[in-house]
Amino acid sequence: MIVYLGPTALGLLLGFVLGTRIKDVPESGLKFGASVYILFLIVAVIVSYAQGPFPYYTGTPFASGLIATAVGIILGKLVFGRGNTPQKMEE
Amino acid sequence: MSTILKIFVFPAALVIMCLGVLTILGGHITPGGGFQGGAMIAAALIFCLIIYGLKDSPFHLSHDFLSAVESVGALIFVLLGIAGLAFSGFYLYNLGVDIYHIVPATIQNLFDYPDPTHAGIIPYLNFAVGLKVMVGLTAVVIAFMGFKEYEEESEESEDLNEEEVE
Repeated sequence: MIVYLGPTALGLLLGFVLGTRIKDVPESGLKFGASVYILFLIVAVIVSYAQGPFPYYTGTPFASGLIATAVGIILGKLVFGRGNTPQKMEE
Repeated sequence: MSTILKIFVFPAALVIMCLGVLTILGGHITPGGGFQGGAMIAAALIFCLIIYGLKDSPFHLSHDFLSAVESVGALIFVLLGIAGLAFSGFYLYNLGVDIYHIVPATIQNLFDYPDPTHAGIIPYLNFAVGLKVMVGLTAVVIAFMGFKEYEEESEESEDLNEEEVE
């Protein structure tokens, strides 16, 4: 099994950038806890396995870029997305 | 919006984002690429904005973030072009592939994309375009939603002023 560095690194980076933007909004009355992210990771693994080694790779039975992005989103959320600061409305 | 939508949309948006990133990552050998993948990620963000609204969206897309990501995307694209110009004499020359054999092996290895296709700078260009398209399309929707809120607020304040005058 060979995991290629290119799609893994770029997927992780883009996922991390997106994950940093996730923040809880207490005023909305909705709270997306750890269960949502665990479910998301399970769905991501299933989707990546169904997708196959996209695009035309043969090293793994799953799409490594998709898994890397999912891990990146969760990492970004854990590292920078913990605050509950309200969104600044532009004037 | 209904509670079912509010519970479903955020995890669904995360999965759509992953598929968008995958479309960007496969852009050099499959249909898709920076624009299409960026549009998919933007669709996921817009999905959240429409369902939760501008204030309650779980994705906090501030003006600073949007402008920074857009600038970084543009800078990566331009810098890759200038690197080609500097090392080979051609703007946007694919340094990682080097079909004319005019750049040193060190430079070629530096710009190589580490996967079986060795597509050079093309995946990096896709990445830059994806960043730009993602925030560009999302910014349009945020601007429209902001205008709508501003319009509603100004109409409300006008009504209040008229009532006070009467």
